Amino acid sequence: MSKVPLYLILGGLIPSFAMPVLARWRKQACAPLTVLVCGGLFVMALLYGREMLIGGPFYQAVADWPPPWGIEIAIEPVSALMIVLITGLYLLIALFSSRALTKEINQDSIGWYYVEFLLCLTAMLGLVITHDIFNMYVFIEVVGISACALVVSKGDRTSTEASLKYLILATIGSGFILLAIGMLYMITGHLNMRFAGAILAQSAGQYPYMIWIMMTLFVVGFGIKSALFPLHLWLPDAHASAPSPSSAILSSLVVKVYIIALFKLFFIVFGNEFYQASNVRYLLIILGASAMLFGSFFAFVQLDLKRRLAYSTVAQLGYIYLGLGLATPWAIVAAFYHLMVHALMKTCLFLCAGAIYYQTGEKKVTRLRNIGYTMPLTAGSFTVAAFSMVGLPLTGGFISKYLLAVESMGASYPYFIALIVLSGLLNAAYYFPIIWQFYFVSAEQPVEKRTFHKDKIPFSMQLPIIITAAGIIVLGTAGVMAYDYLQQIVLHFLS
Amino acid sequence: MNWEAIIANYPYLVSVIIFGIGIIIVLTQSNLLKKVIGLNIMTSAVFLFYIAFGNIEGGVAPILDPAAPAELYINPLPSGLILTGIVVGFSTSAFALALIVKMFSHYGTINAPDFMKMR
Repeated sequence: MSKVPLYLILGGLIPSFAMPVLARWRKQACAPLTVLVCGGLFVMALLYGREMLIGGPFYQAVADWPPPWGIEIAIEPVSALMIVLITGLYLLIALFSSRALTKEINQDSIGWYYVEFLLCLTAMLGLVITHDIFNMYVFIEVVGISACALVVSKGDRTSTEASLKYLILATIGSGFILLAIGMLYMITGHLNMRFAGAILAQSAGQYPYMIWIMMTLFVVGFGIKSALFPLHLWLPDAHASAPSPSSAILSSLVVKVYIIALFKLFFIVFGNEFYQASNVRYLLIILGASAMLFGSFFAFVQLDLKRRLAYSTVAQLGYIYLGLGLATPWAIVAAFYHLMVHALMKTCLFLCAGAIYYQTGEKKVTRLRNIGYTMPLTAGSFTVAAFSMVGLPLTGGFISKYLLAVESMGASYPYFIALIVLSGLLNAAYYFPIIWQFYFVSAEQPVEKRTFHKDKIPFSMQLPIIITAAGIIVLGTAGVMAYDYLQQIVLHFLS
Repeated sequence: MNWEAIIANYPYLVSVIIFGIGIIIVLTQSNLLKKVIGLNIMTSAVFLFYIAFGNIEGGVAPILDPAAPAELYINPLPSGLILTGIVVGFSTSAFALALIVKMFSHYGTINAPDFMKMR
């Protein structure tokens, strides 16, 4: 296979623009084509990942302009992980949305929905594989705008309001990022991450204030976009009012790619030593820790199922930021592990919420009685994902939280263990009542007399839910195998 | 405080002040159209910042004339980047305005505090 990661971007971009034309001609063909495109990209991502594992990271200059001038695309350990994760989950979500969307959005706008769906995929893939800072900014904007459009695709008034809120705050965030990129270019004269990093390593001492300002601007900008705790205000509205496949994308992938971009900047451009010595690290630790606590508190009082899941995302992002703020090698492994597991968990939970809405039309947490008997497979998957959220053993969430707790001890912040346990208990406090309702609250008959029925949702909606739930179990039991790979990421970052 | 350095680099100071004004407009105005105007002021301030650091005093436009090569050219790259930035800002505000039109058709007003009452 030739080394052209550019196809990864074009492969989603071209079909996305063909969608509205196709929708005009054959409306039913849009969803299968999207599944096909996502499947193709997933295979391509796996091949690139394999090539990276065999031959090491590889770089390509777009249009044969050599790196300091042209745009460079890189498949490194972290981007290989992310492209496989993004395309894999996208394949499942596309499969799910082919039937789920019939009840959630207006069928006339289905072609436009898939434009945004694939555009968001393209931009996320571009964002994780590009090595050019300004190119990264462009992809950030495309992700932002297409994510807003995914929220508004329902067209009712709450989602319009949520989308506008998201758009305004995301634009403020990208204003900060653009300003910081300008300062970086001003100091280094390069837009390629590696070259800018090399210059910065030599001349960092000359501009101490400017580098502090730059790092803070990057943290604020990416913090708004990835819902770091006090800047998370747009997230619950946007994730709760979007159609459920969109919520799954936004919650499990879109907020994560910004974290990846931030840490590519920190570790490639600013460099590990500089990052370890900077105060930005403590900012991330404090904000991540408060996100773990307050996100869970806010989730506890929500009665809308998807809103509760959205606030839970704020809390879980806190774990990732805490791990990356601690910045010991194993803490970064824990952060990436949690990033993977959380992507699977949130996809599973939001797809379950979508399936429950599809079959019963219920959105309120208090009205989910008997779901465990009428939709046993969906409720079972929901239970697995919720256990993983809490961090019970044998699920993926346990391993990442355990690693994080051990590392916070190692990095001499032992009190974070109490925080991790407390946050886990709070997670239990708002997930277990839902599960209790699924199985043990009687609607009309006593528990013993109830029998299991088959889920009345299509197979294409059931399959993604089961696969994600199985993935959580696999990560929880055989997760040790992923350590080696994640350590490669860390070595690549920290060298 | 090194005042001379600040005065010599006044374009940066001005652009950061305008950036702040833009953010304050976005955060304090309740009218949605004014919020979008604030966003545009904010992004324009960043564009000004780019143009300012791309300029070199005494430089000429970077067009190579083999007959009479100039001694000093300004850096064309920031201006080129800003072209992309302007397109992005344009599409963001177009999308925001489209959403505002939709909000108006749903609520009959574009004043943010009124939405809270009408929930």
